[in-house]
Amino acid sequence: MLKPSLINNNKQVIHKNPWFLGFVVCIFVVFVSLNIPIEKRKYGLSQSNLTTDYAGLLPERIERIVKVGDRTELQKMVKEANEKGHHISIAGLQHSQGGHTYYKDSVVLDMKTFNKVLEIDKQHKTIKVESGATWEDVQEAIQPYGLALKVTQSQSIFTIGGSLSVNAHGRDIRSGPMAGTVRGMTILTPTGEIKTVTRNDSEEWMKYVFGGYGLFGVILDVTLELTENDVYIIHTEELKTNEYEAYFEKLLRNDDASMHYARVSVAPNSFLNEMYVIDYLNTGKKDHQTPLKKERGARIGKLALDIGRQGGVLEDLFWENQKLLIKSLDGDKITRNNAMRGNSVFMEFTKPGRVEVLQEFFIPVEQYEEYISDLKRFLPANDNNDDFKIHNITVRYAAKDDYTYLNYAKEDMFGLVILIQHGLKEKEINNAKAIIQGWTDLTLKHGGVYYLPYYPYQTKEQFRKSYPKWEKFHEEKLKRDPKVVFQNIFYEYYF
Amino acid sequence: MKSLSERYVPLVVSVGQVVIFPYYILWLKEASLTFTLFTWFFASFSFSAAMGYRLFQAGKKPANSYIPYIYLGVGCVYILVGNIRSSFEVLPYMALLFQVILGFLQGYHHAWHIEQNAYRLHAINHYLLVGVIMVGLSFVKIISPIIFITTFGAILFICGIGLIFMKKEDRAVSN
Repeated sequence: MLKPSLINNNKQVIHKNPWFLGFVVCIFVVFVSLNIPIEKRKYGLSQSNLTTDYAGLLPERIERIVKVGDRTELQKMVKEANEKGHHISIAGLQHSQGGHTYYKDSVVLDMKTFNKVLEIDKQHKTIKVESGATWEDVQEAIQPYGLALKVTQSQSIFTIGGSLSVNAHGRDIRSGPMAGTVRGMTILTPTGEIKTVTRNDSEEWMKYVFGGYGLFGVILDVTLELTENDVYIIHTEELKTNEYEAYFEKLLRNDDASMHYARVSVAPNSFLNEMYVIDYLNTGKKDHQTPLKKERGARIGKLALDIGRQGGVLEDLFWENQKLLIKSLDGDKITRNNAMRGNSVFMEFTKPGRVEVLQEFFIPVEQYEEYISDLKRFLPANDNNDDFKIHNITVRYAAKDDYTYLNYAKEDMFGLVILIQHGLKEKEINNAKAIIQGWTDLTLKHGGVYYLPYYPYQTKEQFRKSYPKWEKFHEEKLKRDPKVVFQNIFYEYYF
Repeated sequence: MKSLSERYVPLVVSVGQVVIFPYYILWLKEASLTFTLFTWFFASFSFSAAMGYRLFQAGKKPANSYIPYIYLGVGCVYILVGNIRSSFEVLPYMALLFQVILGFLQGYHHAWHIEQNAYRLHAINHYLLVGVIMVGLSFVKIISPIIFITTFGAILFICGIGLIFMKKEDRAVSN
């Protein structure tokens, strides 16, 4: 017990006891240390500074930002832009990395404020929601009804309009592409009309708007198909990369398998040889009560990833630890909603002079083994001393997509999401470009494509080979938006 | 010698601390990711200063022998602040550590200083000097805060080393 200090008039005053003060300092330091937040990348819309997206590689000055709240005002703005020849860009959370959400001197619509949940139909399992709402907003609204999303991204932080504009995909292996889960939507067309459209719409608006990167108008609201909030049991397994194709074919035949993803080793000792899979198997039970999980352990997760980022032996250590962690999940139960809200804060990276970017390559399922085998010859197993570093490769299944025009899944594909780090000097960016262009050629050789929401390291020629329908897409853009009201850096680069 | 250590060095230290404060704050703001963290850094400084102050009071006199090391410690912290090249992820943790050390040392120093005969004389000089230096600094537009912080750290470090040697000489003379 602390001995109170004797100060004036022999009064016992505990708060002046040196031991007590030392104790206070220690407790406070521990408290502050545990609560130091993870630094987040500074990016986004700005009128006073240059606007960027999440990668921050394409800074540009914009005219102004409009926080969207009212449809009629928005309609007026689009009509006015047609008359005056202004450009408009559309921004959600801005995690796309190739300037899809802004353009030089354009008016940028910040959709994040346009986020109301309009209607939940429990009987028909649908939700009507404004496009600036995040997947998390939707999950919070539907979870009390025992409902869950059919397709969403691995993290729930993105806006619905943003995800649909890039036709994102996730861990679900049964519901097809995200675009296929939209029953109807309201759009503001480039000429300023508000239209409600469905999949059977003769003008095929959905085919162009989904995966249309904000070039065919503003998605105002969508009606999404939902499913039950099933309870899954997690199954994890370690594999060799040459066993994966057979494993996945078997998994697809298992009707209980609802969600799945995998991670490939990028550690020097097991580079592209080892991988682990995580399957979510339906238990047949439904859940109405389990609360939505919050992100926990971000600091420890970040610390582990930072260790892996050091490369070499430490990357091997990180991979071994990842395997242990994943093994520990085997047999755990999780609801569908919670399986669809992965952590994201632990991935933050803010080292001055360097950047972490994503690239994604889609490969036909039956080409996976040959592709990985070629990739092993193309990439160095140990990038410890290189500027271009690969930190992570996850694999997801993307079923054939007939819902969008600029589609990446022309057949059933595996999507390899690659987390890359490189320097920001001109020489370093050019080096990254050269490697990624080589990687893209390799992907094209195997009948694959690269994904378009990321920084355009690829050439126009590679774009045209990957997306042979680009010409028709462009024609349609000019037909539906003759004044090119909806404009962004992505469009300017590729078209 | 004694007048140097008891009259002028504490004045240099107390004036310097105030003068360097705006520059130090700029650095601390950079290291704090949020305003909450910024205020917590100050709180940790304050709690630690209370401990340093009280520890001086509770210690057995004379405590003069520790003062040069206080200058050395504060000087080292400022030199480190000026030269640190850590990534942003580590910086808040380092800033917290520095705040605790600085708080403790400054609390201890203040407790010692107010017991010195020259303290009352210092008060007027302190305010006048701070005012004059601040006006002077307002004309310096370009030099980086880091240079000021490092320079002040180096001055304190030299004062600390100098006083240690002086004390050794004093002891040799009295023997």
